[in-house]
Amino acid sequence: MVDAARHPKVDVRTYTEVERVEGYVGNFKVLLREKSRYVRTDRCNGCGECAKVCPIEVPNYFELNLAPRKAIDVAMSQSVPLIYNIDLDACIHCYKCVEACGKLEAIDFSIEDKLVWEDIGAIVVATGFSHFDPSVMPEYGYGRYPNVITAMEMERLNNSAGPTAGNLIRPSDGTNPKRLAIINCVGSRDKRFNPWCSNFCCMYAIKNAILVKQAYPDMDVTIYYMDIRTPSKGYEEFYDRAREMGIHFIQGRPSLITEDPETHNLFVHSEDVALGHVIEREYDMVMLNQAAVPQPDVDTVSSVLNITQSPGGWFMEYHPKLRPMDSPTDGVFLAGACQGQKDIPASVAQGSAAAARAGRVLHADEWEIEPVVAVVWEDRCVSAKGKKCGLCAKACPYNAIEYEQGKAAHVVTAKCHGCGGCVAECPHNAITQMHFTDAQILAQIHALLAEKPEEKILAFRCHWCSYGGADLAGVSHFEYSSNERGLRVMCSARMDADFIYEAFRLGAGAVLYSGCHPQDCHYITGQRVGASRAERLLKAFEKMEMTPGRFRVEWISAAEGDKYARVINEMQAVLDSIPKEKLMEEIERLRPEMERRARRLREVPQVEEALGYSRQLEAAMVGKEA
Amino acid sequence: MNHQPETFADQVRAIPGGEHLEMCYSCGTCVSKCLIQQKVEPEYNPRRLLRMVMMDMREEAFQSPTTWLCSACDLCYPACPQQIHISGVIGAIKQLAIEAGYESPLETVTVDESLCSGCGICVLACPYEAPHLVEKEIAGEMDRVSEVDANKCMGCGICVAACPLGAIARKGVSNEEIVRQIKVKRQKKGVPRLVTFVCDWCLRADDDVSLLESYPDNVRVIHIPCSGRIDPQMALLALRSGIDGVLVCGCAPGECHYKRGTYVSSCKITLLNRMFEQMSIGDGRVRFVQIGTQDRGRIRREVDAMLEYLAAWKEAR
Repeated sequence: MVDAARHPKVDVRTYTEVERVEGYVGNFKVLLREKSRYVRTDRCNGCGECAKVCPIEVPNYFELNLAPRKAIDVAMSQSVPLIYNIDLDACIHCYKCVEACGKLEAIDFSIEDKLVWEDIGAIVVATGFSHFDPSVMPEYGYGRYPNVITAMEMERLNNSAGPTAGNLIRPSDGTNPKRLAIINCVGSRDKRFNPWCSNFCCMYAIKNAILVKQAYPDMDVTIYYMDIRTPSKGYEEFYDRAREMGIHFIQGRPSLITEDPETHNLFVHSEDVALGHVIEREYDMVMLNQAAVPQPDVDTVSSVLNITQSPGGWFMEYHPKLRPMDSPTDGVFLAGACQGQKDIPASVAQGSAAAARAGRVLHADEWEIEPVVAVVWEDRCVSAKGKKCGLCAKACPYNAIEYEQGKAAHVVTAKCHGCGGCVAECPHNAITQMHFTDAQILAQIHALLAEKPEEKILAFRCHWCSYGGADLAGVSHFEYSSNERGLRVMCSARMDADFIYEAFRLGAGAVLYSGCHPQDCHYITGQRVGASRAERLLKAFEKMEMTPGRFRVEWISAAEGDKYARVINEMQAVLDSIPKEKLMEEIERLRPEMERRARRLREVPQVEEALGYSRQLEAAMVGKEA
Repeated sequence: MNHQPETFADQVRAIPGGEHLEMCYSCGTCVSKCLIQQKVEPEYNPRRLLRMVMMDMREEAFQSPTTWLCSACDLCYPACPQQIHISGVIGAIKQLAIEAGYESPLETVTVDESLCSGCGICVLACPYEAPHLVEKEIAGEMDRVSEVDANKCMGCGICVAACPLGAIARKGVSNEEIVRQIKVKRQKKGVPRLVTFVCDWCLRADDDVSLLESYPDNVRVIHIPCSGRIDPQMALLALRSGIDGVLVCGCAPGECHYKRGTYVSSCKITLLNRMFEQMSIGDGRVRFVQIGTQDRGRIRREVDAMLEYLAAWKEAR
């Protein structure tokens, strides 16, 4: 930290909050609130004379309230930069600190919060995690029994720089405990609170047990656990070492702690799962290993930075396996436990990866994106004519569309990932997607259904999943009906309802609407946009009394080649089961309705006109960027 | 699509309450939250019963004491980290066991049909819907009497206390047996005499139980299965026979081993005290204390406070 602060190219802003983030990758504008310390950062030299004279003591949050601190103080003695800070809620304005500071004149009560805009190229979020408060679990008595402490309190009690100088004492009477119980999984792996495993508590339970055992070899140290999880290099060996040192491990989740009201000794009730019997053991002190939980202000940060959250409130990564350090917003990266509970080695690895990713942005003069971005035809957008719409902005998972009534919608090209959700949602065909324009897809539909359309199965596949599934079916030589005709779009969100109507208008025998499983979507919420549209289509076709199975919705991953083949074969079986005359009759019966519904699609600028638009736009974009 | 034969677990899951048993990861919270293993049956273990179901051990599960001893107090349900309704699962297993012809091995209540008037109070009092009224031929005449389903009865004795005719009894806690224990020999003058009714489940720690036994003869301890078994007449009888005070110990609200026994008894004692008030008989001589799972050592404070109060009361008289 000291090295970072001294580095000429590192600017450390402490006691500063991010209020707003605007712009896009490489071109962020960030509003910072530099909170007032009431101490001038350019003058304070960290001598600490002010704290010596300050008469006000408040609980020291760094020592988990186990020790006092002054109303003017530093968070901890190793703080970087070493600049004092006045807690104005506690300060009584006696100005003794001003006197003590003397000639330096560093203390200034008139300093106010400062708001500054900064130009930022890339953002790394490393806001960490917080701890579960075990006082909401009455069975463990934390907060009522003085000798039940949390793991973080144990860290301070056990630390030679801590409030007791490393002397492990019982809060009730200040004596050294002779028997210590450590309880794992307090609030984690518990559906009542947090369903997840907190990842690193097994290891720090063992670490604390070993530290305590080294300092007090006679102490009886017992770890209560459900499962000990030591999955990384050297961890299992560490666990073995703890067993060799004589630390007891009892498999069984304690259901209750009771306290002897006179001695304040604690009785831990649990089943010893290995024995199958209930045991009640007496301890002098109990340490609770609380769950790791997201920071309490995670919602604020995620809305400021436009990062989605995974269930539970951890920041969502772009891809759990391939891009765990990227957030879904380009130019914003994730490091450490804010993205999910992880230990120090994993946090360091992710932090280094995030820094390298951020470096890629900072060192590039130009940023390449996929060319499949959305573009608005401003003369077609109804918002430009003053009408209320904004459907495109609602469909965009990346907040890439700026919508304001009275102005044509505007796509921030650098933010667009090219799912095409906005294109399919726009009721006026005022947006198109480069390389996946309505005209292009329409031409494909017409070509694929040119001959004997009633025998064909037109399959809309999303680029990332069901197209891969179809590919795998081919590579693996899974046989499926040769009447299938595949059509690729980037995401099921791009599968415009009008395409389906048009396919049926042309007399398609069957249509498959396929994409990723919801959790696999490459475009955050693209699949959801596509899925809700598919629901509407299914209902509409049911009302029209179309034979069930002619329109089918399936979510197929790239690994499910067998499923793709099975679905196509099942659709073929449906087609085979309908007598030819009956099918032709149904197609003819539905054609006027399909024609009416697909009318808007045929109004879109056709190939020549569309190309003209594209050329115009390209020219405009190149002009703008240059 | 699933052509697998129906397993034992499927059968249990199909009964309402029997769902989610596959979620159990054997942490043992339910076993140590429950007092049955500690107090009654060392083989009692809900975690292992759930395992038996998952491993298709049908006969073993039906014979397991866990199937029959669970009283559905639901102390374990809010503690289970996997939110399995364990008593619901055990209830489902019990239902299958009864269907398979197994019978409850528990000591249950019996109805003396010559005394029963068919009033139906026991039907209302029972937390387990065990008694019901039937038409039966008794001594040559058709009569309406109460009949107890032995597979449902948990033996709490709430109905024994509720029956106005003394027609219901349970071995060990019949009215005669309790009355016999109340009538204690007079001690030397001046020492207050106290009768303590203790429910079998409210004292979790063994030291608390042994502490109660260690009091001298002037503190008489009577064990009852549930504080709901207490009959206000017993308190009156005790006071009439020269005993100075009556202390009833039950579980904390929501922790009763027999669902609502502690609620029933708190109502009874409250009404009794209100009656004393109306009759201007000194109050505070009959008390009800509700001891929670974490109230270790509280019984000592309660008994000592009661003895102190009674000594002062005697002095004043």
